[in-house]
Amino acid sequence: MKRVILSVVGTVAGLVALLSFKAQGHPLPTAGPLPSAGLPAPSPTPAPSNSAGSGATSGPGSQSAAKGSGGTSAASAARTVMGNAVETQYGIVQVQVTVTGTHIDNVSFVQLQAFDGRSQQINSQAAPILLQETVAAQSAHIDSVSGATFTSDGYVQSLQSALDQVGIR
Amino acid sequence: MSTSVTPQRAAPIGPALAPGFTPGLVLAAIGVGGCAVIALWWQDTFLVHGLGDWLTNAGRITGLLAGYAVVVLLALMARVPALERGVGTDRLARWHAMGGRYTVSLAVAHTVLIIWGYAVTGHTNVVHETATQLTTYPDVLMATVALGLLVAVGVASARAARRRLRYETWHFIHLYTYVAIALAFAHQFATGADFVNNTKARVLWSAMYIAVAALLVWYRVCVPVRDALWHRLRVVNVVRESADIVSIWIGGRDLPSLRAEPGQFFRWRFLTRELWWAANPYSLSAAPRHDLLRITVKASGAHSAALFGLQPGTRVFAEGPYGGFIAARRRRRRVLMIAGGVGITPLRALFESIPADAGELTLLYRTATPDDVVLRHELDGIARYRGAQVHYLVGPPRPGPNDHLSPQRLRHLVPDVAERDVFLCGPELMMAAAERSLRQLGVPARHIHHESFVF
Repeated sequence: MKRVILSVVGTVAGLVALLSFKAQGHPLPTAGPLPSAGLPAPSPTPAPSNSAGSGATSGPGSQSAAKGSGGTSAASAARTVMGNAVETQYGIVQVQVTVTGTHIDNVSFVQLQAFDGRSQQINSQAAPILLQETVAAQSAHIDSVSGATFTSDGYVQSLQSALDQVGIR
Repeated sequence: MSTSVTPQRAAPIGPALAPGFTPGLVLAAIGVGGCAVIALWWQDTFLVHGLGDWLTNAGRITGLLAGYAVVVLLALMARVPALERGVGTDRLARWHAMGGRYTVSLAVAHTVLIIWGYAVTGHTNVVHETATQLTTYPDVLMATVALGLLVAVGVASARAARRRLRYETWHFIHLYTYVAIALAFAHQFATGADFVNNTKARVLWSAMYIAVAALLVWYRVCVPVRDALWHRLRVVNVVRESADIVSIWIGGRDLPSLRAEPGQFFRWRFLTRELWWAANPYSLSAAPRHDLLRITVKASGAHSAALFGLQPGTRVFAEGPYGGFIAARRRRRRVLMIAGGVGITPLRALFESIPADAGELTLLYRTATPDDVVLRHELDGIARYRGAQVHYLVGPPRPGPNDHLSPQRLRHLVPDVAERDVFLCGPELMMAAAERSLRQLGVPARHIHHESFVF
């Protein structure tokens, strides 16, 4: 009995110690190509039940960016806006876009969370393709990456919500 | 072969072997492996943030450790000679049983933590998350079946420990762990965050599983079959020692290459229609000779009772030698042996063969009734021949200082007991009583060597 208590307490204490080490904000991995485990994740999005996994957009992810540059008309200065956090069946996607006028200079992920290892693998393959396609198409009208339909859909929704703020259709 | 056996000094059996891996060394190796597994999680994890992350990562660690622990458990039971001799079969079995309970707990914790963690991260409830994992995540369904099997085996083992289950039934159920381990393997690579993007980790992890599988196949299948074909063991003679005790002499060719040592045991399978399916562990009751081995068995179950009817010429399939209850354990010149009941068998072999000069060796033989004393003429003969002492301590256990194994009586019989190495073999209660007395008399634990029948 003593042994049982010891091993349970020891295991729990060990786990808590290990996890609390990792909980003290490490920055993004420099080598990691994607913020897959990176930024503070759980957005306060009250996700509606994700029917069929196509994900529902919601949340106030864009307000500050939209307000920050609201006054001046579409100027030639570069602006960075953030899309909504979109939750799919397999993870969470959120992008931010840098535009000059109506030109998309740059797209990057704020969140690309996978709920499991397999989805993480799929995401890491799909993500660079999606980013490239966006810059090439200069819009959210891009093809889904085959095998990563859910991530592609979530990406497009988040991207479009960002582009809506700067008037790109 | 006559029924009277004259004791004889054992012929040297091969060169003296080192005692193999010591228990401390083996535990350290297991610990290092565990740290390596945690290091794998460590280098794959950047930030643990929020309740979902905490739960999921705790689930990842427990899962990794469970995947590692099942391999360790199998390795302990692979009957590797260096482990058998160095750690001892009974201690390996104890570690295996303790580790098994721990591993099943880890697997259950892993499952609960992962489901809960994903549910928190995905803002769903636990029931919905469970359904999602079972239906959409690759290989998780198989792993769930594996978990069910593991838990069932754990429950069966707990019942077997309380003797509510026959040994054979329990052993058969135990084989399902192999199925469970195979079923659980796929989901580790398909969904394990530490493996999907890490080829090196996948390779090392697979290598670990393959290495242990190879050990199992080699030492539990190939070596016994090879030995059986080569040594061609057969029953040579069956000798009734008392109403319920029988000695069986087994002959074969090239027995020295088995490297059996006094104090070790084999798992014996007698190839008759009634007995072939059961492999039972019995110690050698005499130092192995170049052409003969002997076991001495007390009829306690249906199987051992059937041994009385064995005919000379019966083929024997023996796996072994196993066990670390050997002369190499000894650290001091003078030796005390304490046998209880049929626990005399390995000590009879050691009494005959352990190197000791006259006056350095004493045997205490504890039995409940005079009829339980077996091989008495042999023990007396060996004692005379070697200048050793034998004391027969007969009678039921008594409370207090009058018990045969009380500290007072032990000191009276063996005044220099604190300066001796002690070899102990017998029923659990008797061994516990003897060990308590010995510790009171100042014998350090590392000088007390025992073998338990229970495994």
